[in-house]
Amino acid sequence: MHIILSHIGDLLAGFGVTIELTLLGFVGAVILGTLLAVFRVVPVTPLRVVGAIYVEFFRNIPLLALLILVIFGLPDVGVTYSLFVSATICLALSGAAFVCEAMRSGINTVPVGQAEAARAIGLTFVQSLRHVILPQAFRTMVQPLVNVFIGVALSSSLAAAVGVSELTNRTQQLNLKYAEAVGSFLVAGVLYLLLAMTGGGAGGWLERRLAIRR
Amino acid sequence: MRQLLATRRRCGRPVALSVAIALTLVVTGACANSKDNGLPGAGNSGDSAKAYDSIITGSPVADAGAIQAGSWADKIKQRGFMRVGGTDAGPLFSIKDPVTGRLTGFDAGLSQMLAHYITGGKDILKLTKLTITTVDTREKLIQNNSVDAVFATYTITPERAKKVAFAGQYYESGDAIMVKKGNSAITKVADLNGRTVATESNSTASLALKKFAPKAKVLLFTEDAQCVAAVQQGRADAYVLDQGILISDASTNKAVSVVGQPFTKEPYGVGVPHDDAAAKKFVNDWLQKIYADGSWAKLWKATIGSIVSGDAPEPPAIGSADGS
Repeated sequence: MHIILSHIGDLLAGFGVTIELTLLGFVGAVILGTLLAVFRVVPVTPLRVVGAIYVEFFRNIPLLALLILVIFGLPDVGVTYSLFVSATICLALSGAAFVCEAMRSGINTVPVGQAEAARAIGLTFVQSLRHVILPQAFRTMVQPLVNVFIGVALSSSLAAAVGVSELTNRTQQLNLKYAEAVGSFLVAGVLYLLLAMTGGGAGGWLERRLAIRR
Repeated sequence: MRQLLATRRRCGRPVALSVAIALTLVVTGACANSKDNGLPGAGNSGDSAKAYDSIITGSPVADAGAIQAGSWADKIKQRGFMRVGGTDAGPLFSIKDPVTGRLTGFDAGLSQMLAHYITGGKDILKLTKLTITTVDTREKLIQNNSVDAVFATYTITPERAKKVAFAGQYYESGDAIMVKKGNSAITKVADLNGRTVATESNSTASLALKKFAPKAKVLLFTEDAQCVAAVQQGRADAYVLDQGILISDASTNKAVSVVGQPFTKEPYGVGVPHDDAAAKKFVNDWLQKIYADGSWAKLWKATIGSIVSGDAPEPPAIGSADGS
């Protein structure tokens, strides 16, 4: 255990990289996913097709395969990003497919009658979206989005396999030298747990804030 | 709004699906191609398979008196096969033929020889049962008795020797340097300072780099092929790993070359339970036997010797490594 304590700085630095990967990947996923969700609900067929193809592709390809394609495939056609940037892009691309579906199902939970009632009392399209549809839709999206956040946080560990020196990668290095697999992965596991639980806690807080008191 | 909400009808799902499938096929196809680095696996077909088998079955078998009742070896003998920890994806050392299911290579061959020595069995496929181990699991799997022994290019180190006992060493290798062909700026390990160097995350080469080229920026990949690609694509200036593996890569990939001589000594040992001194002595005695009767040299020639030219070297002295 003293080996882990004396290398805790190294592990925490790796945890910092994991947090960066998670936050950047999740924010990227939310931005891209929102755009895709709009694509999937607009009454323009080509955009809906683009949205559907994107979701079917990026939701169904393993993240590790995507990482290897971006890191070792793209340089062959002359595009080389740093390992960290590549991993962030992959997390965002993959997460966006899940965010898109969470958003779409959120929008679909609001009954059509709500929109019709909003129009009937004279609200404009934008007003009915802002005051009637989205507030109700967002409430149901919170937990699915927390799931995506946790998914991004945990799958960021796959970046270890392609050389990003985040938490898992540094844990493996520590173990390589000191042969303390159980202890070092226990510490890494606790750190991942903290990250995921922070995300879950923030989601719970947001959900309570948005709850309707009936 | 009505339009926004009224779009839940089917939207080109069959198209999307078939495109996704087509893309996946392209992707997997590309991966399969890049994986095929044409390494000559030892004994994949016909005659060479028989030659490999005859090396194993021609190796010594223990005398009845050599195996004490209730000992580590006796348990393996009673069971009829040895539970081995190792890999099935290590070129030259332990690689599985996906078609025939045969495991061949220097480490795999030694594990089969040891099982043959204990059980006397002649069927190579039934001599050993492989459990895939990684750097993270090797010590634990020995400690909790999930495997009898680990043959996995297992470098003997004093830290690891606190957890498991090492028989051997049975092979000594060293880390060398691979660069892109035409790169004359790197010829020795000191030249790696300040440069980006790739290596496998599960090898001790990254520790060696910290020692010999502390200012090098190290990139860690899980697989050999990824490290080679990193050098080829310019992501890394050099790739450091066991010389034998680098030579085998360079023999099939003309874009890279191996420079200089090895700068470390990596003694490979057989991992056995830490508290079982008899097991360690048993394996060491067996190693002496296969050194003496030439089985070790024949196996070297059939596996590592298919890449490295020249005759088999002198086997390393047993117990000479720190930790063995």
